[in-house]
Amino acid sequence: MAEDDSEWVVESIVGYLGSPEWLIPVTDFLENKCTVFDDEDENKLSYTEIHHQYKKLVEKLLENYMQEVGINEQQFLDACSSPFAKSKTLQTVFQPILATDDFQMFRSLMVQKNMELQLQALRVIKERNGALPECLTDGVDVMTELQQQEMKILQEVLKKSKEEYDEEMSRRLLLEEEHGSTSSSCSDKPVTKSDDAHNATTAPSQQSNSTKVNSKPAKKEESKKSATGGGVEKKGATSSKPDCGSKSLESRVLPAVRGSVKSAEPTVILSPDTKEQSSSQTAAEAWLEEAHREAGFSKPYTELSASQQEQLQQRAAYLRQQRDKLHALKKEQQKTKQTITAEAPTTPTPAPTTTLEISAEEKKKLQKRKHLADKLKEEVIKK
Amino acid sequence: MQGLLSVIEKLKGSTEQEVRIVLLGLDNAGKTTLLKSLASEDVNTITPTQGFNIKSVASHGMKLNVWDIGGQRKIRPFWKKYLENTDLLIYVIDSADKKRFEETGLELSELIDEENLKGVPVLIFANKQDLATASPASEIAEGLNLHTYRDREWQIQACSAVSGEGVQDGMNWICNNIVNKKKKK
Repeated sequence: MAEDDSEWVVESIVGYLGSPEWLIPVTDFLENKCTVFDDEDENKLSYTEIHHQYKKLVEKLLENYMQEVGINEQQFLDACSSPFAKSKTLQTVFQPILATDDFQMFRSLMVQKNMELQLQALRVIKERNGALPECLTDGVDVMTELQQQEMKILQEVLKKSKEEYDEEMSRRLLLEEEHGSTSSSCSDKPVTKSDDAHNATTAPSQQSNSTKVNSKPAKKEESKKSATGGGVEKKGATSSKPDCGSKSLESRVLPAVRGSVKSAEPTVILSPDTKEQSSSQTAAEAWLEEAHREAGFSKPYTELSASQQEQLQQRAAYLRQQRDKLHALKKEQQKTKQTITAEAPTTPTPAPTTTLEISAEEKKKLQKRKHLADKLKEEVIKK
Repeated sequence: MQGLLSVIEKLKGSTEQEVRIVLLGLDNAGKTTLLKSLASEDVNTITPTQGFNIKSVASHGMKLNVWDIGGQRKIRPFWKKYLENTDLLIYVIDSADKKRFEETGLELSELIDEENLKGVPVLIFANKQDLATASPASEIAEGLNLHTYRDREWQIQACSAVSGEGVQDGMNWICNNIVNKKKKK
């Protein structure tokens, strides 16, 4: 009879370890506290405090459970030392309890949890943005693949920018002939310079066009562009171009005005003989190359510039944010679950209630339950 | 809750005897080096411990779980959080650091008075014997008044964690001592 008793209790314990009464507080704890656990060899002093808190939580939960089910510690203990409880399948179920006494086990649980959350956050980012931001990738193989893709895009961009420049030039000539009045306000030189400036803008605009077609790297490049925009702008000669890129349409409509504004200083420095197509071509090329370089291939963390460090910080902040969001989401989900179970507490939680009846020694139900348990046992053992 | 702990022990279902050992001492005494040397790991890349390290070493059919906790002054208040259920204390002394013999003696005597270490055997490693300026173990034992310890087993062992010399002798003492102690129970 004692044997049977312990099997009962073991099954009820296993049921409890799978129930929301246990899972919610425990998972909640793990997810909230796992952030400081890394896989460094050395342990932080804070781990001990967290382990202690975990111990207390598990103790409290088990105490509540025993009270609810109506078994005493001795019964619990007997059950746990029965051969049934020591089967391989049940050992994994008992792992969260074992972790209270085994710091190493607890630590690996926490490290694993932390890793899971990190990966989850990365996945969310990926789903939302199509690709990970540059600052979140550091694998070499990823880089080379991206590099190839981007080289292709850049070549395409250069080709198109040349074509478009030619086209634009001829169109501009026509326009100037037709509307001499609009450009009359500007002197001759600025106008031609504006052509040049505009030509330069076609490159980025073209780039963003082409990138829109290639969905994944495209978004990346755009984000990179905006990220490195500040850095590019500082480099006197190439200044103001990145933002023209985004406003290229506008500049196409009002080329003369924009051009004259811009031609004020930078374009002059850029290419003195502005009319020469080849020189502006090389200017565009130079910029692209620069953007290309700044976009990430020079990025390896070895020589961190200020902007890159900033990126890293952004990355950290972003990750943290994502994690917090995940937390909030999960909590909400759990809350709704909890409220559901709270609404109908008597029926959907079979394990505790039935075991209560056992302790009340209602023989009929006991037998029924035994039947069920045997079935369960069979299933478990067969597996 | 006394019950839970015993339950958990039973849950583990392993017959292997586990021993909890705490490894303490001043900063730069060589605790982590000793730990790594016990676990047969590389001892050349050790930096001051900010937290704690744990290694499990199998010896004499027992599993020794050794906890090495950082010895810097600001960490020492945390030591007492690690003393519960300890089967044995290893205290490491830098035998060449004569200036701090008094300090290390004070820390040791405070540990000896800890409630959680009542009657717990203590092994003192007089480390860094490979240095020319190291004091002999007997001299250190005298300085620490070890002969006045009446309430527990104790042993002082000269060693060099870097070369490994003397470390095994200390471990043998530990194993013999613990085996004896458990038999008595």
